[in-house]
Amino acid sequence: MMETPALPVPEARSVIPAGLRGIFPVLVALVLLALFQWLVSESPFAVYLLSVMGVNIILAVSLNIVNGMTGQFSIGHAGFMAVGAYISGVLSLNLKEVALSFLPVAASDQVLFTVALLVGGLAAAACGFLVGLPSLRLRGDYLAIVTLGFGEIIRVVVQNTNAFGRALGLSGIPQYSSPYMVYFWVFLVVLVARRIAGSSHGRSLWAIREDEVAAEAMGVDTTGYKVRSFVISSFFAGIAGGLFAHFVPIINPGSFTFVKSMEIVVMVVLGGLGSTTGAIVAAILLTLLPEGMRSLFNALGTEGSLAQKVDQIRMPIYGLLLVVLMLSRPQGLFGVRELWDVLPRWIPRKRRGLS
Amino acid sequence: MSAAVSVTGGAQAPLLQADGVSIQFGGLKALTDFSLTIRQGDLLGLIGPNGAGKSTAFNVLTGVYQPTRGDVHVGGQRVNGLKPHQINHLGLARTFQNIRLFRALTALDNVKVACRAQGALHPHVLGVGAKMKNALGNYRDWWRALLLTPGFQAEERELTRQAEHLLEVMGLSHRRDEEARNLPYGEQRRLEIARALGTKPKVLLLDEPAAGMNTREKADLMVLIRKLRDDFQLGVLVIEHDMKLVMGICEHITVLDHGETIARGAPAQVRSDRKVIEAYLGDSYLESHGGAA
Repeated sequence: MMETPALPVPEARSVIPAGLRGIFPVLVALVLLALFQWLVSESPFAVYLLSVMGVNIILAVSLNIVNGMTGQFSIGHAGFMAVGAYISGVLSLNLKEVALSFLPVAASDQVLFTVALLVGGLAAAACGFLVGLPSLRLRGDYLAIVTLGFGEIIRVVVQNTNAFGRALGLSGIPQYSSPYMVYFWVFLVVLVARRIAGSSHGRSLWAIREDEVAAEAMGVDTTGYKVRSFVISSFFAGIAGGLFAHFVPIINPGSFTFVKSMEIVVMVVLGGLGSTTGAIVAAILLTLLPEGMRSLFNALGTEGSLAQKVDQIRMPIYGLLLVVLMLSRPQGLFGVRELWDVLPRWIPRKRRGLS
Repeated sequence: MSAAVSVTGGAQAPLLQADGVSIQFGGLKALTDFSLTIRQGDLLGLIGPNGAGKSTAFNVLTGVYQPTRGDVHVGGQRVNGLKPHQINHLGLARTFQNIRLFRALTALDNVKVACRAQGALHPHVLGVGAKMKNALGNYRDWWRALLLTPGFQAEERELTRQAEHLLEVMGLSHRRDEEARNLPYGEQRRLEIARALGTKPKVLLLDEPAAGMNTREKADLMVLIRKLRDDFQLGVLVIEHDMKLVMGICEHITVLDHGETIARGAPAQVRSDRKVIEAYLGDSYLESHGGAA
């Protein structure tokens, strides 16, 4: 399994020049990811499962920036994912025959893919801005209602637009995606989330989560910070959608329903609102859970039918999981802490606090 | 800067000025014709019975409520209609009656939030050009944080240094990495003051800073507030229920009752004011004791 490299601790005396510290983890990741790609590329099933897992991690970690760190409640993440998926999907479909002449075909495809991803992400970010600006000026649950509505609007719009294939969905999007690409973005979103958490922006977000009135009185532009965190979160949801669109055979409105949004919310709550590593762990668990159930039912030999219905019985199980979680551990697996805070004592850790 | 206010002349321009401020919630007049001027070095008291409108006055001054009538100026700039964080950037910081710390954050991070918010924006909150500049600066800040540039790291160190200094001033150094919610009550109150100071204010508004403290802590607090005023060159406005504390440290007191200013002046003068005694002790007291003491 892919583990994101540890981020540099600001206080650490390191041999890396100060100017390079910022991008050093990225360079390390590029090398590690190549190795990772080489290891898994043999098995199509592993590639598919890992890609789904990666997309879920991106979704959970990005939603955690809004729901966890900033304390706002967004329940329309699948809507932003849909925007990214459809925009980048349509773009790739139309650019299928185009190749950049100065590059080898594979490289040209990846460049176009990256461009399509970014356009999808930016479109989702723009939607995030439009949705966030009016609803985040207010305090309270407005964001939940508005994002819920937004998710449904996107779904209905897609369902009724010819360019997006209506209810049938888009098929034939070139399969540009690879675990390398997916996990590069996983790495990026985790890096961004952690760097934000460790900076004054992160502290402002935490302050808003803790007490909005006090944050405002202490000079934090609460509306501005809320909107910005929401835009960043939407951007990565769009990227996740774009990645998704380029490795599944077909995207249709059914992939981006309210159920998908809730699945992401469950991941964030399960991992602990505010914990990036918690979101990662929960995303991994909840991606593997249906697969585990499938193998379990197959092994038990239950008529063969149960194994096929895993997708349907998944949601009740999520619900049950949440109920058990709320009763036994309401703060989620990790609470607001990170994986390294809950490790056994003998492992060296960062000092307490956010930065 | 509005020229009308900055030419007040005299020794010092007022840092905070409220002129005939009234606020009405529906039919309820929460505050009527409230005026107040704070200059550097002032230590003013705002007292009154429960529900007299003291906290409302604070909320109007800090921008939480908009005045129905009247003007508030901070540092010479009219702040009606500005948001609390913008008013804070102009040099006005406050504490809360019911402690409102960022409970899950460490003491240090609580103060760092305040230190930072101040550095990010310039006090010129009005004007389109300044707004654009702010927005651009803000996006540059995000990138600097994401790329961990040397400048960003230096800034973080500077913020930590400032916050540590403020914790030290407030005698909270030993609580640096403790979560705010785990601090004892008195220390939480002090942390709120440290956090307010983090925004580098010119005027500090303290809403019942001594509430829930014992006599000893109150005495220490009195000394501390004076010291802060002198060391940080502040103007201070204190809401307080504890008469001894208010009379002990404030040089000028404003008394509110039912939203109206019923008396103002030096402590001794206010203490013997008939209206004040009436408001605090009731008419029956005056009848049985035959007028002001």
